[in-house]
This record gives sequence, C-alpha cells and structure tokens, in this order.
Amino acid sequence: MAVNALEVANLSFHYPDGSAALQAVSFVVAAGESVAVLGPNGAGKSTLLLHLNGLLPESRPHDGAVRVGGQPVVRANLPEVRRQVGLLFQDPDDQLFCPTVFEDVAFGPRQLALTEEQVRQRVEEALTRVGLVGFESRLPHHLSQGEKRRVCLAGVLACQSSILVLDEPTSGLDPRGRRELKALLRQLPITKIIATHDLELAAELCPRTLLLDGGRLVADGPTLQLLADEPLMHKHGLERPHLLDHLHPHGPVAGR
Amino acid sequence: MYAGWTDHHRGCDSWLCRLPAGVKLPVAIGLVLAMVAVPARWAVGLWGFAGLLALLLAISGVSVRLVVRKLLLLEPMVLVIAVAAAFQPAGWRGALLLASRSTLCLATMVLLASTTPFMDILRVLRRWRVPPLLVTTLMLMHRYLFVLADQAHRMRRARQGRTFTPRRALVWRHRAGIIAHLFVRTSDRAQRIYWAMSARGWR
Amino acid sequence: MHLPDGFLNRPMVLTTAALGTAGLALALRSAKRLPPSRVPLLGLSAAFVFAAQMVNFPVAGGTSGHLMGSVLVAALLGPAAAVVVMSAVLILQCLMFADGGITALGANILNMAVIGGAGGGALYHLVRHLTPSMPFQIGAAGIVAWGATVVASLACAAELAASGTVGWRVGLGAMGGVHMLIGIGEGLITMLVLAAVAKARPDLLVPVETHGFEPIMPDSPPVPARSAVAAAPRSLRPMILPGLIISAAVAMLLAPHASSLPDGLEKTAQALGFAHHQAASPVIPAPLPDYAVPGIGSEMWATAVAGVMGTAAMFLLGLLIAKLARLRRRTRAYV
Repeated sequence: MAVNALEVANLSFHYPDGSAALQAVSFVVAAGESVAVLGPNGAGKSTLLLHLNGLLPESRPHDGAVRVGGQPVVRANLPEVRRQVGLLFQDPDDQLFCPTVFEDVAFGPRQLALTEEQVRQRVEEALTRVGLVGFESRLPHHLSQGEKRRVCLAGVLACQSSILVLDEPTSGLDPRGRRELKALLRQLPITKIIATHDLELAAELCPRTLLLDGGRLVADGPTLQLLADEPLMHKHGLERPHLLDHLHPHGPVAGR
Repeated sequence: MYAGWTDHHRGCDSWLCRLPAGVKLPVAIGLVLAMVAVPARWAVGLWGFAGLLALLLAISGVSVRLVVRKLLLLEPMVLVIAVAAAFQPAGWRGALLLASRSTLCLATMVLLASTTPFMDILRVLRRWRVPPLLVTTLMLMHRYLFVLADQAHRMRRARQGRTFTPRRALVWRHRAGIIAHLFVRTSDRAQRIYWAMSARGWR
Repeated sequence: MHLPDGFLNRPMVLTTAALGTAGLALALRSAKRLPPSRVPLLGLSAAFVFAAQMVNFPVAGGTSGHLMGSVLVAALLGPAAAVVVMSAVLILQCLMFADGGITALGANILNMAVIGGAGGGALYHLVRHLTPSMPFQIGAAGIVAWGATVVASLACAAELAASGTVGWRVGLGAMGGVHMLIGIGEGLITMLVLAAVAKARPDLLVPVETHGFEPIMPDSPPVPARSAVAAAPRSLRPMILPGLIISAAVAMLLAPHASSLPDGLEKTAQALGFAHHQAASPVIPAPLPDYAVPGIGSEMWATAVAGVMGTAAMFLLGLLIAKLARLRRRTRAYV
C-alpha cells in the first residue's frame, strides 16, 4: 500500500496571545494529488502550511500530528522533511534573500551538501523548468513579480522536493504572469497543496479542496462540488465563482 | 541623498570595471593609505596621485560628470573640517593640504564605488575571513535596502496624501510613526525570512 | 559626523582602527549567542536603519534633520546587536557611497557604533530597570540618545585634536556645540519612534539579547509583554568589563593627546581670543567645565586622570542605579 504523501491528524495550534489558530484539523493527501486550501482571511491557511514542514510550532514539532511520507515531523526528521516539502511563501521577496538568482536557487542544494558541480546542474535544470535560463546573474530587485515567483519555484524544485506547498501563488501577478504560473504548475506531476483566494485557480488545478474557517476544517471534497455550493461558500466568506457557469464539459478543468 | 548611486556599474564595461574586486579593493585602500602617509614636505607628491586618479577615471568608462557630482555631494564635510583646521599653527596652507589630500582620497573611494558592485566587495570580505555573522548581516542589509527604502517612501506618500496642515510638530510625529511602522514590518519580515531560510535547510 | 580620509594622523588611524575593531569584535562575539531565528533581524535592521536615516525631519527654512539611530536600535535590539547593525551601516556607507573614509572607518565605528550603540544602549538598559513605566523608559531613551550624540561628537573632536588637525577648543566648541543641538533632534525622534512602537507592538520593545523569544506552548497562558522588562540583563554582564576597558582606554589615550599640544593650543587660544574680540562671532562657549584636576600640575596627566575618573564615575553611577533597581524589584516582589 502506497505511503501517503501527507497525513495531518488532529492538529491544533494557539497564537502567543492564547487565541486558537488551528483546531483539530485532520486530513490525508495521497501522493500526486493536487489539493486546494480555501478560506477567508484569518482562517488559518498560512498557519496550517507552516506546520507542514515543521516551521511551526517553533519550539517542538508535535509528535505525530503531521506526517510527511510516513515520517512524523519531529526535530530529528526536520532536515529530511524540509527537503521533501517545498514551501513557497506568499511574498517572494521574503524568500529571495540571496544576492543573485543563481545563488538563491543554489541555496537549497548547497544546504544539502552537494558538490559545486551538482549544485550548478540542479540550478540549471530548475531554471530551465521554470523558463528562466539566462537569469543566473540577475539581481532580485530587478525582477518582475512573476519572475520572482518563478525563481522561488526554481529554488524549491532544485531541492527535488516531493510535495509542493504554495501560499497564494498568484497574488500580485498580472494576467500573463498568472497564466504562465498556472501552466508551470499544471506541468508538475508532484503532490501540490495550494492555499489561495484565486478560486478559478483552485478549480482549474485542484480536483480536491479543503475549506478552512476559524481554524477548523469545515469541508473536504471535490472542488467543483464545493465551489458550486453557494450557501456553503457564502457562509465561509467566499463566493461561487462565475467560472462554473462557463465550464465546457471537456475543458481544461481539473477532475474531469 | 543616495538615490541613483546604486546601479551605475551596470553599464560599466571597461577594463577597470571588469577587474575583480579582490584586486580593486586592496589597491584602493593602498592608494588611500599612501596618500594619507605623504608627509607635508612632500606634498607635491599628491599631484602624482591626482594624475594617476585622473588616468584611472579616464579609462574607467565612468561618466566624469557622475563622479564629480558624487564628489560634490561629499565634499562639504571635507571643507568644514578644513576650515576648522585653518586655526591650527599650519594655517591656511596646512588646511589646503589637508583638504586636497582628503579630496583625493574621496575621489579614490568614489571611483571604487562606481566601478565595483557592493556584492563583489562583500564576496571579497568573505574570502578575507571577515566573521560570517557580519558578512551575512551586510548581505541581507544590501539585499533589502531598496525594499525597505521603497516601503518608507510609499508610506510617506500615503501619509502626505492625507496631510493638509504641514505643522512641524505633526510632521515629526508622522515621520517618526513611519519609522516605527517600518521597524514593525521589518521585524515581521525578518521572521518570515528566517522561515524561508529554514524551509530550505538552513540551520 | 562621518570622518573623511586624511584628517587623522597615522597614530590615530591605528588607535581608532584598533579600538573600533575591538569593539565590533566583542559585539560580534556577544551576538553569536543569539538564537538563529534572530540572525536575519540583524541584517534587516541594518537595512531599516539605512532607510530610516533617509527620512526628513524639517527643522527651519529648508534644512532638515535626520535620525542616526544608534540608541534607537540599541533600545530595540540590545547594545551588542546595535553595534553590529550600526557598523554594518557605516561599512556600507563607506564602501558603497564613499561616505566616511576607509582609514577613518575605525574611528567612525568607534564614535557612532560603539559609543553610540554599546555605550548609549548599555546605559539605557541599565537606567530602564528603575521602573516599568513606559513613559519613563522612553524619556530615558531620549536623554541617552542626546548624550550619546554629544559624546560621539566629542570623541570625534578628540580624535581630530589628537591628530593635530583641529584644535581641541575649536573642535569642542564647534562640534560639541553643534551636536548638543543636533542631539535634541536625535533624542526627540528616538522618543517618538519608541513611543509609536510601544503603542503598536509592545512585544517588540524587549531586546533581542535578553529575551530569547521562546514561543508559547499551546494551552499555556500568554506572557504579558511587560514582564519581560523585569528580566535581569544577565547577557550584558560579559560586556561590562570589556566596555569599561574600552571606555577607559579611549579616555586615557585620546584625552592627553589633546592637551599635549601646548604651543599649538596657546597660539590658537591667542588667535581665537583675537578672533572673538574682532568678529564677536556667536561661538558657543564650552559647555563642559575645566579638565584641571586639583593637585595635579601637568595638564596632560590631569586630563588623562579626569578622563578615567569620569569613566569610573559613570560606571559606578550606572552600577548604583542598577543595584537600586534590583532592590526595588525584590521588595516589590514581596508586596
């Protein structure tokens, strides 16, 4: 029986001021699945994502609450977990902290103690996959938002992660940037977990959706079904996207 | 004050610009040390240095107007101290010598800054075994300099749009508020950067 | 106050380079004990200081003042981190903008980062434990910021005097006088910024060094921000002895040099005397009392001893304040 890519069991987390950020969240993601995480602002989406590679809780990852590839996310396993789970942050400027594109994409491989030749190879492969060949010596603050996001994606791909976790990947992108990113993500066969406000992105890329509100998992099911449930959407601060009215039965929508 | 300083080496293609920072930095420091060490009786020697600098400027491909502009920006400090120095027994001659020497040193550093990206200098420092904590601090500072300066600028514009009475006390409160806000955002961003670094394996 | 190249003589370049490097090295060693989660904060804070220094504070006519930030950063991050941060800014300004000479880098780091950041910061954190009252702490920060500005300018003047570049009295009057005014702006801005941070995020006012930012375990009661103020600054202790040595060294080495130019000084005094009578210029009178110590004849030794005595007095005063603070805290705990 195949090991699940990700298992979250009864995960709870409190903010420093005592208020609950996550309450008893449980779900399982199989290898290769693409799952969207939807919910209003403050629902705990980002907090949940930070738990998936052990960044939260800061002092001691809870034993067993989160399992990646069958391994519990505990201090001993953190390096391997962080290699397996590639996390893309909401603001690419937070993630692009190296002086040049090359150094940033090389950051992950270098932490893995690969030889310089192997590092260079991984960087080249990653940049090719995201379509940014030739950008190696560019400076981060000269890149467009879309380019920055693709560099961040390359940085994660260079680590050869098996699970891609994205926090609002299309926010701040112009239509072209959004199209390019969607095409990129569609091509990647690995497990994907995408937290987003972009309901159309969720519909197009993710057959399954987790709906979070107030730190609780309020729904877990097929994306189109959830999105079409207008009362459910409104109850949790979302809305039924117009996309659903224009769906072609054989169109490029996930799950069909 | 520093606007426009940052990317002038991008168009710079001359031999001098392409010289590695590992050569340019020690040479610049050496030149400055040499000029500082020239004793008063051999002040004529400074002309030699001036000639050398002019030559370097000519082959550097950097626009002379740019260098002069940067020099003028920094010159007032030199002049102020030189004027104060005129009260010493060496009098105006001594002050003139000091000012000339200082200006030449300034020109050297301006030339270095105009032909060498700061990042390259940092890489040289790292090779020279400067403590890693300091180098990391310098690198992160340089990376986020413009991000933060931009944020501050935008915050100021936003406040300006809502301020109608430019009373000085109010302006001071506003500007201090901007700085405070900037620090809060900086602190949060530092946390997120730490998460981003840890997420890719940094310990 | 960024000294350009060429105004310090060779001995002073070496002395200030040594002292500045020592101060920075000590701070780096202390900062190495920071938890890794705080390391990016140093770099980002340096970028913050740089951006903050660009903000205009209109003074009069077309002139405007700017924040230097050493005491502000020390109040927010602690003295050691402040030294690292301010030094980084100075290094950037020197190498990327040629603002501040490379041979003067040691002096600039000494004056602005070490004296301002470490000295001012340590004093602020000692004084701060007198009471948890926020307005008092903020007021203290403002006063310390003013003091640090003045002391830094005096150090600069002393270095110039010791190099024989600018007479001590000229430097004292001009630099010291001007910076007593500039310091007011620095103090005010520091207070305003700290007050705004205190209002928005009081949890950020606990310095990085004393508070490890241990995250809260789920289900435990939240820690109120102020209680961390009462935490004893144990991490400051290793800095006290080196800090004392550096301060005393600065006082001893620089002060007597300033007065070892008897002929120059006398001539200058005469010239100045003339200048005063003729020009009736608004030269600000020296605010500090005479350096003469009764019983010691030689001016040079008098100044050196005065310098060391002054340093010792400040240290003892700070220690007394800290002891009082601890006493108060203990008695309050029993109430």
